[in-house]
Amino acid sequence: MSLLQILCRRLLLAIMVVFGVVVVTFIVSHLIPGDPARLMAGEHASAQTVQHMQHVLGLDRPLPEQFAIYVGRLVRGDLGLSIRTQRPVSEDIRHFFPATIELSLAALLFALAFGLFLGVVAAVYKDTWIDQLARVISIVGISMPAFWLGLLLLELFYNWLGLLPGTGRLQEGLAAPPAVTGMFTVDALLAGEWGTLRSALEHLALPTFTLGFVILGIIMRQIRSAMIEVLQEDYIRTARAGGLSPTRIILGHALRNALIPSVTMLGLTFGDLLYGAVLTETIFAWPGMGNYVVESISSLDFPSIMGFAVVASLAYVLINLAVDLSYLVLDPQIREIG
Amino acid sequence: MSAILWFCGVATAVAAPTADGTLMIGKPSEPDTLDPHVAQSNNSLTITCKTYETLVKFAVVNGHATADVVPGLAQSWAVDPSGEVWDFTLAPGHRFSDGRPVDAAAVKFSFDRLMRIAKGPNEDFPAIGAVEALDQRTVRFRLTYPFAPFLQSLANCGGDVVDPAVMAFAVNDDFAQGYLATHSLGSGPYQIVHVEKGAEIVLEPNPYFPGPPPRIRRVVIKIIAEASVRRLELEKGDLDLIEEVSPDQIDVLRKKPDIVVIDEPCFREDLLFINSQRPPFDNVLVRQALSFAIDYQGIVDFVLLGKAKQMRGFIPEGFAGYDEAAPQFHYDPKKAQALLAQAGLRHLTIGFLYAKADPTWQTVGLIVQQNLADIGVKLELHEYSYTTMRDMIDRGDFDIAIGNYAPDFNDPSQYLNYWVDSRLFGLAGNRAFYKNPEVDAMIRRALSEKDPAARQTLYQRAQRIAVEAAPYILLSQKHYEAAMRSNVHGFVFNPLLLQVFNFEDMWKSPSPN
Repeated sequence: MSLLQILCRRLLLAIMVVFGVVVVTFIVSHLIPGDPARLMAGEHASAQTVQHMQHVLGLDRPLPEQFAIYVGRLVRGDLGLSIRTQRPVSEDIRHFFPATIELSLAALLFALAFGLFLGVVAAVYKDTWIDQLARVISIVGISMPAFWLGLLLLELFYNWLGLLPGTGRLQEGLAAPPAVTGMFTVDALLAGEWGTLRSALEHLALPTFTLGFVILGIIMRQIRSAMIEVLQEDYIRTARAGGLSPTRIILGHALRNALIPSVTMLGLTFGDLLYGAVLTETIFAWPGMGNYVVESISSLDFPSIMGFAVVASLAYVLINLAVDLSYLVLDPQIREIG
Repeated sequence: MSAILWFCGVATAVAAPTADGTLMIGKPSEPDTLDPHVAQSNNSLTITCKTYETLVKFAVVNGHATADVVPGLAQSWAVDPSGEVWDFTLAPGHRFSDGRPVDAAAVKFSFDRLMRIAKGPNEDFPAIGAVEALDQRTVRFRLTYPFAPFLQSLANCGGDVVDPAVMAFAVNDDFAQGYLATHSLGSGPYQIVHVEKGAEIVLEPNPYFPGPPPRIRRVVIKIIAEASVRRLELEKGDLDLIEEVSPDQIDVLRKKPDIVVIDEPCFREDLLFINSQRPPFDNVLVRQALSFAIDYQGIVDFVLLGKAKQMRGFIPEGFAGYDEAAPQFHYDPKKAQALLAQAGLRHLTIGFLYAKADPTWQTVGLIVQQNLADIGVKLELHEYSYTTMRDMIDRGDFDIAIGNYAPDFNDPSQYLNYWVDSRLFGLAGNRAFYKNPEVDAMIRRALSEKDPAARQTLYQRAQRIAVEAAPYILLSQKHYEAAMRSNVHGFVFNPLLLQVFNFEDMWKSPSPN
């Protein structure tokens, strides 16, 4: 099967997955007892006001009709109007998503860099104190709730040492850099605004560490066990016997093979990352999707909930597609088998 | 050397007013919309009450806000003998933040907009039939019946006057709701200059507001969901004022020298709704038994840490129509048991509907569970999401549910005409599904009764009958809690306007740190 065929098949599957998510989210969110019109109309609203709002929001139509209207709009790229904020959902998502992506990417990079390093070192020095230390870090990372870690970090670095800022994305009074990607660090870099870049990085540090720490533990564990296995393989022994330098063996031969199962993990970790981002964003008042989604769910803001589900599932599917494609680079066998 | 000193001097002189002129506020959640004709929660009032003005406003006497009304945009008013035609004369000098004068046409436009949008805030003006601009400064309201609390209701933020020029931003008949969700176009002392969704809202003075310019030149409202982080930033000095401080945190913050706490009795109440239509709660003896079984003081002491008091009647102390002789149930398990026996009930099991919307509700539920166990009643706690819970209350699908209530303006109708009117079963007001034709007649008559004394008697009688019938278990009248840095001055608390701060009169002295 050619690369193009694989790509087409996966893309088709991706569309089906996203459509499935749309159907399920629509049904589930509408099955929850509760009426957003009732909720929006407030404390004293009379039956007439609620009816009027139901009509305005289109909630008085039959469910299948509401679904057909929604899908019709979705195909044209229109995610509808948020019941809660009165703003187009696509606009809200365009505003909030880059902040979440920036945080998630930074956390992923951080976790990858340290997770890989610790995993490799722990495997090479298996059962020594270095390995024990790395495993303790991993267990702490996996078991410590992001919520608790975030508060501890704030207490230490913000309140006690005064080294890093507390909440938000930029220092008060500093204007956001010209929007290109919506990620302040990248945009500041592109615009050459070094002061803004520095402030953005400082604000990103603690949330990144909080969110990345959990993933770091998972990656480290995965790499460690895969590396231990690979290091016992015959071809590694052969390479050693052949006189290759240990660095070359570890990085060039062992790690490359150990990476394949880890890459799969990485794709699946993206879900954890999004979930962890919600908690992290709450603690650090990081204006991303997290708070927006929580507020949308608690006010049964159907268009916003649906919009998030669509975008998040799309991102999830695309990332896993990228993961699958990366196998082709890492493992030529898969390319041949298809 | 002198150059360095000169530079430092300049730097300080330039920096000081900026620092002292900016007020940083920490708010737990972002207001859904900043459109005064759509916004429902007090969370929005922090902004809308400062960016718009009403025809009349609540008076401040000796540094304390009262529930009485005084002239606002209107300098005077007159009502005809029928009580159905009100003429307001607008005070000169009020201008919207775009410089246009506030005229009668703008008042008419605003009330027409409020009624056409009909998304909730219009409910406080049930009697408005038509609004006419008689001339540039006179506006006439024609009511469909003599709605007695009309003047009081106009001080409520739903009566905010919006600049008609906003229609330039209208999209598809939305009356510019999309625009006003994140912008302002009013005549209040401040205007919205920046909204960073999910992060912050920035206000700066309306240059056309009459009187001396406010000393707070910039208000930055930061959205910080986590309570402990808000507190940390207040203690660190990055925030000047924080909202929603829990009772236990208030006591800790009170001890800090550079923090001042706001801990004032307000009109917010916690209560339980007993579904009076569902057997066996349709029996008044059962409802009274439940009311005698509750350890009211225990709830005040252990859940609210003393920052509340047991309610007496529906109407809270300090509010128009408060009746200090209203009947009050007290903790008397023996009497409760006797009443249950009289009703012929044994082994009763009932459900308690609550959500995590208020962190204290579950704890209250546990105390009530223990109290009822003492009289042989089993209480099952049923937790649902807040939206589901509200829906169940609306449909009457519960035995006992917990909730809270805060009024919009100072008139007994805010309690009686909602809580016990049998036309408003469910979320609309009567959440206990209580029905008594005699009470219905009294409260409906009181709503259009022009003689204040007769009106008060009607409400008093209605309230005493309804309280005795015990459709609600009246738990506590609560405190409002917030905290600010000790160098912030001039805040005046108004029990009717929770989460509203009088930025225009406030100021900051140089920080002690």
